[in-house]
Amino acid sequence: MATDATRRRYRAWYAMLLRMYPRPFRERFGEGMAQTFHDLCRERRDARRGLHGLAPWIFFETSVAIIRENTNYMSRLGKTMLLVALGALAVLMVPLVASRFVADWNWPAGAFVRVYVLFFATGMVFALVARRMGAWSYKAGVGVALLAGFALGWSTMVQTADSGHPERLWYLSVLVVGFIGVCVARLKARGLALTLFGMAAVLAMISVVLPSGAPSDMALRMAVGHGVLVALFTASGLLFRHASLAGVE
Amino acid sequence: MAKKSAAQAPLTPAVLHILLALSTGERHGYGIMKQVQADSQGKVKMGPGTLYGSIGRMIETGLVRESDKRVDPEMDDERRIYYEITGEGRAALEAELKRYRGVVAVAEGRFAYGH
Repeated sequence: MATDATRRRYRAWYAMLLRMYPRPFRERFGEGMAQTFHDLCRERRDARRGLHGLAPWIFFETSVAIIRENTNYMSRLGKTMLLVALGALAVLMVPLVASRFVADWNWPAGAFVRVYVLFFATGMVFALVARRMGAWSYKAGVGVALLAGFALGWSTMVQTADSGHPERLWYLSVLVVGFIGVCVARLKARGLALTLFGMAAVLAMISVVLPSGAPSDMALRMAVGHGVLVALFTASGLLFRHASLAGVE
Repeated sequence: MAKKSAAQAPLTPAVLHILLALSTGERHGYGIMKQVQADSQGKVKMGPGTLYGSIGRMIETGLVRESDKRVDPEMDDERRIYYEITGEGRAALEAELKRYRGVVAVAEGRFAYGH
């Protein structure tokens, strides 16, 4: 019959084996699997039987399942990357085609490559976060936040390049606030809600305080644009708050 | 060709046994394992890897869902995640059993003629 020390050792080894599952699977089922292994060990103890017959079979069976789950995970990840790559290409067609018809829109080839990488990276962030989270409000919050962040970053870079007003780069501090907030919140819904509300507040403050230096019609358009972005950041914050209240972590 | 829904597609033996185990009520992982063993008179021995891999795929296809995390009064005071069969899972189980009955009827017919 196995001693308590042997049982503890087998359980520790099994917990180490479970670490080889793909992360999403491990986070969802790892605890249950460890608990089930514990239950099986206890069943053997109650029957006054050793673990040396059970443990090798369970370890082998779980190892085969780990290989299968990792293969499935990689194949799904590959499919996701392909879909995002194609989606980014489709979105890239908009500036690519528009640049043929709009005068003074003469991007070099490198600029299109950089924009494509930006589209692809944004799409992958959304796809990976959405895969991990089942709650619609969390997914929608991520989508709206990425859309608003992308629009802010894009418009700031374009306006700064066109107008030669480097002080407009202050708008990028909103994205810095977002980046720090995401790191601190560690993707928890409540922390992300606070981050997005913070981003909305910082953007509103900069829009009011920083003189646009643009002609009045342009300044009005910028104010409306920033108002829309503040509303989007706030909406995203509310979606994360909804997810947080629903118990999503 | 149209893709078959989860309720129409043939089930793997592991999925069939899990659905059968959950057809009489919610169970946690170890509970499913023991029920499968009892249902098959000890012939089917399912390890945690097969069990939870199958449960993951069954949740994705909507055959089962997580119902609750609570203590099993017949075991220790650890809280366990319980799983329950969905309407689609029940339909898939019924469809599979119907297929089995059809196969058994054909086999019995041939067996009767053969002897």
